[in-house]
Amino acid sequence: MNVNDMLFAQLATLGSSLVLLFGIALLWRRSLSAYVRAFRWQSLALALTFALIGYFSHNHELYIVAIILVVLKVIIIPGYLTRLYERVGGRREAQPYVNIVTSLIVAGLLVSLSYAITRPLVMVSKLPTRNGIPLAVGLILIGIFVIISRRKALSQIIGFLVLENGIALLAALGTYGIPLIVELGVFLDVLMGFLVMQILVYQIKDTFESIDVEHLSQLKH
Amino acid sequence: MVWLFRFAPYLIFATTVAVTMLTPLVAAPLPFDAVGDLLTVVYLMLLGTFFLALAGLDPGTAFGGMGASREMTVAAIAEPTIALAIFGLAVGAGSTNLGQIVAQTLSHPGAVINPGHLLGFAALFIVTLAETGRLPVDNPATHLELTMIHEAMALEYSGRYLALIEWAAGLKLLVFFSLLANLFLPWGVATTLTPGALAIAVIALIVKLAALGLAVALIETRIAKLRLFRVPELLGVSFVLALLSVTSSFLLR
Repeated sequence: MNVNDMLFAQLATLGSSLVLLFGIALLWRRSLSAYVRAFRWQSLALALTFALIGYFSHNHELYIVAIILVVLKVIIIPGYLTRLYERVGGRREAQPYVNIVTSLIVAGLLVSLSYAITRPLVMVSKLPTRNGIPLAVGLILIGIFVIISRRKALSQIIGFLVLENGIALLAALGTYGIPLIVELGVFLDVLMGFLVMQILVYQIKDTFESIDVEHLSQLKH
Repeated sequence: MVWLFRFAPYLIFATTVAVTMLTPLVAAPLPFDAVGDLLTVVYLMLLGTFFLALAGLDPGTAFGGMGASREMTVAAIAEPTIALAIFGLAVGAGSTNLGQIVAQTLSHPGAVINPGHLLGFAALFIVTLAETGRLPVDNPATHLELTMIHEAMALEYSGRYLALIEWAAGLKLLVFFSLLANLFLPWGVATTLTPGALAIAVIALIVKLAALGLAVALIETRIAKLRLFRVPELLGVSFVLALLSVTSSFLLR
């Protein structure tokens, strides 16, 4: 491995651990506005990692993807999320089912688990970016954990977005970027999914005067 | 037990001085390295904390007991995190000896930006704030307030006993800052015991400590003290970071 590859490997791992770090920071925070802020920083770190991979692998399409990422996930979606919680109002606390210390330890275990399950993959891989793969898988698991452990519809949306960031990171690390057209399709999907969820949140709010998804279980009566 | 109250300050000061001897402050492979490694450092510090808590309980005042119980709550999570964060580095260096870790990092400078190293730094930084009684956990400037931790235990002391305790607290801050500076950014540490190298090492240490002090001062002006029940959550964050640091340096070796 030459010096350039070594530097690439170190920086790619550094970028992935930053993305993961913001995922863990999100678990520590309580208020919805802090969730949105953590998500915004995470998306920025993700965009930087994309640009970095694009630079070292000479795949210039990734620059475009990074720019779209900044516009969509750092500016547009967090902006909408902020407006959403300002309008829905109510109690701003995220009220998790699992308390914060436990969820942090669960997150630590999930990342350790993803190190264990991706170990064969990392060992056979020759990519300089391979050390980031367990971190990306860990972020996906943390996203799922946020979805199942948080009570408010809004924090579940953020969990979904974190999960999506994890998948994007995994794709970038594993393949140096999927074709641009596929990437654009994914972005459109995320935006559409997000808009649909946003409408759903307003509906939940109208019906129950709260965005606590607990109330949805009353619908079957 | 009057003797305990009088004896504790000497012990607290002695353990802290002993820790200073084992920490790579200016030169990396120290003659004392054979005496103790990172576990000795961590548990000597815990011994000092333990006796400070006992001394807080001993006079039987309300404040002392409160401070002691809080200090133990913090220390119970903080001490394993220190050990774990440094273990992350020890796994990479192949030795639990602090001097060896510094020497190893100096010979492999690329290791400084690997994730184990960075996560370990973040974890140790949070723990440093908690252990030395800095702002999000304890406020060193408060006296006679219901939120104090360290001050509450030292409340009944005066004269030379108080001086020893305060001196030990200052030394502890120095030890933690220089651990942060020299374990994670070891440049400037002298590897030979020549006057020139030592002079550079002293200047480098002062610059690093000043930078860390500035960073802590900036943080302290930006944030408020955490509610006591949020403190274990903050320390939980640093524990998880330290755990991930060990995991990644162990599995990515």
